[in-house]
Amino acid sequence: MGIKSFSRARAIHVMLVYTGGCNGCDIEIVNSILSPRFDAEQYKVFLTWNPREADVLVVTGPVTHLNRKPLEAIYEAIPNPKLVVAAGSCALMGGVYKNCHGDIPSEEIEGPVENVIPVNAKIPGCAVRPQDVLAGVVSLLPTLLDAD
Amino acid sequence: MDEKVPKSNIIETEIPMGTVHPAALEPYRVRLFVEDEIVQEAEITIGVNHRGIERIMEGLPVEKANALTEKICGICSNSHIWNSCRTAEMGLNIEIPERAEYIRVIMGELERLHSHFLYLAHGCEVLSHETFSMRVFYMREIVMELLAMIGGNRVQYGCSVLGGVRPRCDLDEAKLLRLKNDMDALEENLTGFVDRFMADSILLSRVTGIGVLPQKQAIKLAVTGPTLRATGVARDLRTTMFEYDNFDFNVITQPDGDVKSNLIMRALESFESIKIIRQAIANIPEGKVVNRDWEMFDTDIVQSYIEVPRGTLYHSYRLEGGRVRHSIIRTPSMANIGAMQYACIGDQITDAQLCIVQCDPCFTCTDRAIEIIRR
Ligand code: SF4
Repeated sequence: MGIKSFSRARAIHVMLVYTGGCNGCDIEIVNSILSPRFDAEQYKVFLTWNPREADVLVVTGPVTHLNRKPLEAIYEAIPNPKLVVAAGSCALMGGVYKNCHGDIPSEEIEGPVENVIPVNAKIPGCAVRPQDVLAGVVSLLPTLLDAD
Repeated sequence: MDEKVPKSNIIETEIPMGTVHPAALEPYRVRLFVEDEIVQEAEITIGVNHRGIERIMEGLPVEKANALTEKICGICSNSHIWNSCRTAEMGLNIEIPERAEYIRVIMGELERLHSHFLYLAHGCEVLSHETFSMRVFYMREIVMELLAMIGGNRVQYGCSVLGGVRPRCDLDEAKLLRLKNDMDALEENLTGFVDRFMADSILLSRVTGIGVLPQKQAIKLAVTGPTLRATGVARDLRTTMFEYDNFDFNVITQPDGDVKSNLIMRALESFESIKIIRQAIANIPEGKVVNRDWEMFDTDIVQSYIEVPRGTLYHSYRLEGGRVRHSIIRTPSMANIGAMQYACIGDQITDAQLCIVQCDPCFTCTDRAIEIIRR
């Protein structure tokens, strides 16, 4: 393990981007990292809103039209190695907004997230459960730590 | 203070925030116009989250449309499905079993508790008081687990269906007992928190007189919900809803309309919610929870207003062959955006985020196409 991986293992920064879902997933993710019940911070996983600091990008929501560019810009701004987690059924397949067929389909949805940026891990659920979020982020750690 | 007036007409410095910004959870854009660090004008732009729910709803079978409305907002999901079902029930004259009404009220109040706790936690976080924030998050977890117990999911519970509630959400003795015990625990925790909060003179000096929204302006901007009640107007739709006829509760108001009033407002309202849930547990009638005995027919446009954690929610649609037509949804934060902009004026730029959070923003549900008709 190089010195980079060694230090990275002690401060994994997760950035949450929100691309137009219903807020349910976001609050659950913030909850699973910040709140004292699940508390990912005890495993040295921190929440950040600064892409240059982030190691893992968690994307929720179906990526609305206006959110595509910001999402790509954020993805570009994250230094390598970077990993992307898509959380919630919206991010995985466009969710209820894309697949609920009424008379007029919605034209706002660009998603799923895979269409926009490469995705490394997927967390299903509507809304995601905090346990699953932790499992998803933890499953990525080996990849992140072996990166260099 | 009746009205806050900006110092001059031409303001040169603009500080934009957003669309994705570290201080704000949700994507929205704020432009703050400042003079000497004092905000003179604020402008909030939304629209990034627009998904076009009403458009997707057009022509969906009503049961499916109800389930879709739940996905408007992850904080007050239950309120949306409740009001959407209520709209159809009013149009089709469906009678709801009394037990189902009680369960809906319990869910509604639990949701109010978790929304208010989220507000308090977020508020303390923005005030940089992590300890308080964690303390409230911990209390919130009790509520979230109760919601998961009743609905089977932590966020989207899908409790209401046409004619009552889902049989999964029926409450048996064990669940009622757990609900009762957790309400006791919650009240104890909340009392401790409020006592500690009110005894903290540093914190109070930080929130008193910040982000004032004068009562006259609040009425003029058509602000709703706790944000309006925190300016001293006792307006709560729960007093007019037939679901709440059998419940005894107070409409809380606070005098000042600043951050302190808003925070205390939410805490005191949480006590009222606990009171309502206790009454519901004590008096819940026996019987079935869903009435399947109804017929579908075409209706006129039906409108329904209910009080949700953040204010007044409006749903309306017409039924045609069992399908939803011309759906209109108006969420409380729509009206409260005006309050957020106004509250920032006259405060330090560092407090601007606090002033916005003070009005309980939820931009996900608010992102819908609107047309303002001035009369
Ligand atoms: S997956 Fe469900 S809970 Fe998550 S953002 Fe989408 S609709 Fe909301």
